[in-house]
Amino acid sequence: MSAARDVTSRLRQTVWNGSVPLEIRLHKGDCRTYDTSDPYLIQFPRLSYLGLLIHKLHGFFESSLIFPEVSPADAWLEYEGVPLRWHYPLGLLYDLYSGAEPAYPEDASGKQEQQTGNDEPKPLPWRLTVHFSDYPMDQLVKLDTEGKHLHDLYIHSVKEADYLRTGTGKTVMFLSKEDSTQLWESVKQHNFSLFNSINQKLLNPQGANLRHLPVRLYLPHAASPDATPAVKAEQISNPRDADTADKPKKEEKGIPPGSLRVVQSLITPSLTSRQPQTIGTALNQIIPTLFPSRRSPLLAQAVLHGAVLPLGANVEELIRATSYLDGWLHIAVVMMA
Amino acid sequence: MRRLTTFPRLTEAEFKTACTAFHNRFLQHQDSQQEWTSVDPLQSFNTRYLRITRPLQPNARDTPKSDDAEQESEVEESEDEEALPYTPAPAPEALINYDIILSPTYCVPTLYIHILDPLHRFPPTLDTLYQHLVPSPYASQTRDVGVLGGITITDHPISNKPVFFIHPCRTAEVMEASASGRDLEPEAYLMLWIGAMGKCVGLDVPPALALASSKTENKRWGETRMILVVN
Repeated sequence: MSAARDVTSRLRQTVWNGSVPLEIRLHKGDCRTYDTSDPYLIQFPRLSYLGLLIHKLHGFFESSLIFPEVSPADAWLEYEGVPLRWHYPLGLLYDLYSGAEPAYPEDASGKQEQQTGNDEPKPLPWRLTVHFSDYPMDQLVKLDTEGKHLHDLYIHSVKEADYLRTGTGKTVMFLSKEDSTQLWESVKQHNFSLFNSINQKLLNPQGANLRHLPVRLYLPHAASPDATPAVKAEQISNPRDADTADKPKKEEKGIPPGSLRVVQSLITPSLTSRQPQTIGTALNQIIPTLFPSRRSPLLAQAVLHGAVLPLGANVEELIRATSYLDGWLHIAVVMMA
Repeated sequence: MRRLTTFPRLTEAEFKTACTAFHNRFLQHQDSQQEWTSVDPLQSFNTRYLRITRPLQPNARDTPKSDDAEQESEVEESEDEEALPYTPAPAPEALINYDIILSPTYCVPTLYIHILDPLHRFPPTLDTLYQHLVPSPYASQTRDVGVLGGITITDHPISNKPVFFIHPCRTAEVMEASASGRDLEPEAYLMLWIGAMGKCVGLDVPPALALASSKTENKRWGETRMILVVN
């Protein structure tokens, strides 16, 4: 038992320390010099939020800006035409958009389960572009200089995760003012000891097992265009038939680059038969068209923190050791070649 | 009558029933009301939801359309004599979409609001929210809650674009209090929910719909209590 706890806490620490080197350049439309300015370089935690960087970015690029008086809240980041959502942690953005090949688990014989192919891994650092004009209001929540929007998005996500775990959301609601402040401070400072004491309270609600597990799936390129009027309910007699509409569609006109479909569903810690919920059983339940098998990935894979998740992994153990700062497992679903 | 099985929450099937019934109610009585432009049941992948649309300026529909057209063509004639007589430039009308989506976490309907405007005059910001959406009597009580207020901005669960929303973490409690022990049918639940959640963002069931009795529901809805929901 203590050995298991040991593994959990070591994994928790490893995930906490995960980071991606970033090279952020000023978009030439905002740059007063003809040549591009120096890039802003930073080793940034995978678990953290890029929105916490706006003041540093503004300060760094201020002297190069055509309009230096713009607000730090006008900043937005982009990778190859995709505006990066402030409330997605960096690790999720990187797993979704960087094109980097995820790490594969080793099978029992020590061989890699999957050949990674001949593709050269994309070189690090991850090269992003910062803009200070033409804010994509229809795609990104606009931040403010005091970080209130980011805090609000974060705390709603924390509450929702808590509601799933406890069935009441009371753990978060009854956190003391000090604890709530400490939680957000720990995120801003990326301070593990500040974070962990609160997180342990959230993960271990008093006298209760976890009801549901906060898991959210992100399916790139599958986002639908504007919703279509509902098919007459009578036409869908069998709800399973509706699943055929679940297959990712070819990219259609009008879908901006980087579109995602975000999917979540109620996931219990164990199946009725006292069998623990695994990534395979959960994915098979939520998106059976992409995960027709509970044991082996046939069409798509689940990527978390840069690694392909083994379908046999226990979801509750993953939540305890590897969830993001808001308590969720944010899993990128990647189609297999 | 069958009581809702998970009250104060709603199952997916009950939510679907409620949306269908409410849509039918609108189709039956839409001509006797001016407030709403449309009520549409929508589906994206496996998510079904309901969209209520009304003009941003509530008075815009009060004037009969023919009058509008006449006035505009007169204006055009006086300004430009070469203008074709029957091509009045339509004033771009902004519409509010209220999307009612069942939260997979809280198992209650959740309200997402965005403004459709060809001129992009109303971006999803708190300024837009308090200048154009929240009726002034509700502004202060809405604003002074939580980090940013009781209504904030998040990604729409279907379109994934930033929209206004009312966080649903207290909705179940509010429904419990609002029902005050009554046995509710799914549609009655939905109308009670609109009454409780919608006022602070300008969504009210038009009296013509609220008072009309449907086949299944003969209760009076004028008494629907308004409770502002905050988190």
